[in-house]
Amino acid sequence: MLGTLIALIVLTMVLAIVFLVRPTVTVSPREKILAFMALFILPGLCVGGGMATHMQRSEQTRFCISCHAMTPYGESLYVDDRQYIPAAHFQNHRIPVETACYACHADYTIYGPLKDKLQGIIRIYMQYVSSPPQMISIRGGYSNLQCLHCHGGARSFEADPIHQAIMDTLKSNQTSCISSGCHDTVHNVAALSQVKFWRPVQ
Amino acid sequence: MILRATGIKQFFRVSSALIILGLAAEILSLLWFHPLAFVLFAFVGVSLIGLGILVYLVSLVFAVFPPAGNRG
Repeated sequence: MLGTLIALIVLTMVLAIVFLVRPTVTVSPREKILAFMALFILPGLCVGGGMATHMQRSEQTRFCISCHAMTPYGESLYVDDRQYIPAAHFQNHRIPVETACYACHADYTIYGPLKDKLQGIIRIYMQYVSSPPQMISIRGGYSNLQCLHCHGGARSFEADPIHQAIMDTLKSNQTSCISSGCHDTVHNVAALSQVKFWRPVQ
Repeated sequence: MILRATGIKQFFRVSSALIILGLAAEILSLLWFHPLAFVLFAFVGVSLIGLGILVYLVSLVFAVFPPAGNRG
């Protein structure tokens, strides 16, 4: 995919260089069509392909933790403690390992990926232009919908008597899954120096 | 008026140069695995390519084509 896109970009660049060096080549209709391809269609395709590649890349776990501020959150995925919700999901492959952050933090709505990208750009702005916050937090809090995207309708979740008793408040996000005393050990990066880590067999 | 006085050659040169620069920024952003790579792509690459395409489209409307005997 990336190789094909780069080949397309190089081809477009070569054609654009032809029009840069010899802009008079657009005499015949065939040359005009070539100019239309080189200066309109192909650059448009390159932008589309680049956008798709960058969007896909930003879903990867290693992309998220490539930011310095996110490194401890990446480390928390290897905590050897089942109480740590992200670690338990990551280590047992309950979520795709390659896109672990995205699986639990994506906004699963039609414009969700766009909103997530905008949030990412705001965080980049805070990191490099203004000042990053002392404590990283999710704007508006963590929504239960992100848990229910997978757990909603699952037998193990629905059959649990505690879940059954508060199902309506869970679905309406009135009772938080992670901050109501039930599953409240999440990344907990402040305590990483005091915990044991699991190392996968290479 | 100024646009009408500008020949198609100048438009093509500007358009091509902008697109080449934008595509170079896009290649760099694709080879660099970092959150800032997206910023490079979106704010530099896409802007330059978009501007290049716009200049090309403007040239189709406003540029003065050289007379048939004066091409080459």
